[in-house]
Amino acid sequence: MKLVIYEDSTYENFYPLSLVRPVFELRCGATSLSEKLRRSFSNLDIAYFTRDYLAETFQTTVGNAPVNDLQAIDDDLFIVNGRWLCMNTQITAEGPEEVGVKEDSIVYVRVQQETVRKYLGQNINEFLNTVLEVLPQKAVDEELVSYCWNIVHHNSEALVADFQTLGQSGVHGEMHDLSCVYGDESQVFVASEAVIHPMVVLDSTGGPITVEDGVTIFPHSRIEGPCHVGRDTQIVGGKIREGCSIGPVCRVGGEVEEAIIHGYSNKYHDGFLGHAYVGEWVNLGALTTNSDLKNDYSTVEVKLNGQPIDTNDTKVGSFIGDHTKTSIGTLFNTGSIVGMMTNILGGSEILPKTIPSFCLFANGKAFKGFGLRKLLQTAETAMGRRKVAFTEADRSMLTHAYELTKDERQEAVKKSRRQILSN
Amino acid sequence: MPSNEEIRDRIINVTTMILNIDPSQIKDESDFSADLGAESLQSVELVAGFEEEFEIEMDEEEALSVSSVGAAVEYIAKVVAEQHG
Repeated sequence: MKLVIYEDSTYENFYPLSLVRPVFELRCGATSLSEKLRRSFSNLDIAYFTRDYLAETFQTTVGNAPVNDLQAIDDDLFIVNGRWLCMNTQITAEGPEEVGVKEDSIVYVRVQQETVRKYLGQNINEFLNTVLEVLPQKAVDEELVSYCWNIVHHNSEALVADFQTLGQSGVHGEMHDLSCVYGDESQVFVASEAVIHPMVVLDSTGGPITVEDGVTIFPHSRIEGPCHVGRDTQIVGGKIREGCSIGPVCRVGGEVEEAIIHGYSNKYHDGFLGHAYVGEWVNLGALTTNSDLKNDYSTVEVKLNGQPIDTNDTKVGSFIGDHTKTSIGTLFNTGSIVGMMTNILGGSEILPKTIPSFCLFANGKAFKGFGLRKLLQTAETAMGRRKVAFTEADRSMLTHAYELTKDERQEAVKKSRRQILSN
Repeated sequence: MPSNEEIRDRIINVTTMILNIDPSQIKDESDFSADLGAESLQSVELVAGFEEEFEIEMDEEEALSVSSVGAAVEYIAKVVAEQHG
């Protein structure tokens, strides 16, 4: 039997973060959605299905596991939706053929090899549509995330679940005598290669804290649980409030609350980031701040792919695509979608809630900027500084993302041009 | 199709507006950066301004590599001919 993790057709709901990764690679808690699925069904070999243009770069992260390979799934299958936030489930891979559904979405499909052979054609999604019609359906109460803000909303809960599942605790690294755990020490794990400088407080009264190998926490940092600090990250005097997941190789300072920083990104300086999701290779300039609460405490509306969506949540920050850089003093509005590979010169005004990908955004206007080649050069430089190779597959994937986001960018650029000459 | 003279006049108008300089300062041989003081962001604004003025789409890198007003007249005349000719 194989475990198949696939992306369904709602991946655009996770733009710009899903422009460069499968939805199931998004982080929630200490691990990604796919890691939680693998952990929940750990006795099975795995295959993945994602959008074709992501396959080559994604393949480099999963070793020999098949990606988009229909021939590799000629087997009994337990097929799971990559949007499933799988924590403490009672559902098992073994059992009768059935489709687990929540509202209109598939959560999982349990299917035998003969049914696979009967209906599997050239497309996994067509196969799933077919088995949805022919197999018995079972309504299940599992969590499927639908938008980026759902992931942030569930982050604290996922951090606690991940800490319990991973089952590690204790301070094994170098922790200075003038630092302390405030709260239950069994709710803290500091890995053996982590270093904690003087005057650091790890406050576990609100939930567990994980500090991975290679992490350095500099003086005057306060970390509230639940929180996860990924390998080789530096916390530079930060006020890291509850519910934060900070991925590997980040540099984080200032105030951060209930936010996910995917990895390889910097928010070194003061400034507030809350209820946000930041992609990889992002640099937030000093005093970059996002609002995550409206002054009238009403629910936050986010404009996604041109459509306004009520999040039904009063705390929603920014969703910032990979490789985007902000200038000093950039101010993001509540519920902002900030495109990838965009260079933002913020100024003193709060920015519009939607900023397109691959552009230069300055003085409240979107420009084509210096071109894709220059953006790719900058990406190569940024990745090289962290000893990460920028491959031809990366170039091809980013170029594809550039084309996918063209219409939105052109519309914003044309609107800005009219403003230039009318001023 | 506008003549090169008309294109030059319109380029001077846009440049005057974006760089906030006197049109008498602008010659064919003027370098947007070295002589007229365009910083990198203003160069991007100039490209956007020319695109709006002439209703054209320019390749960002090509457009930004045009350094003088005279060269801009030639380049924009070529793009206008390609896209509106």
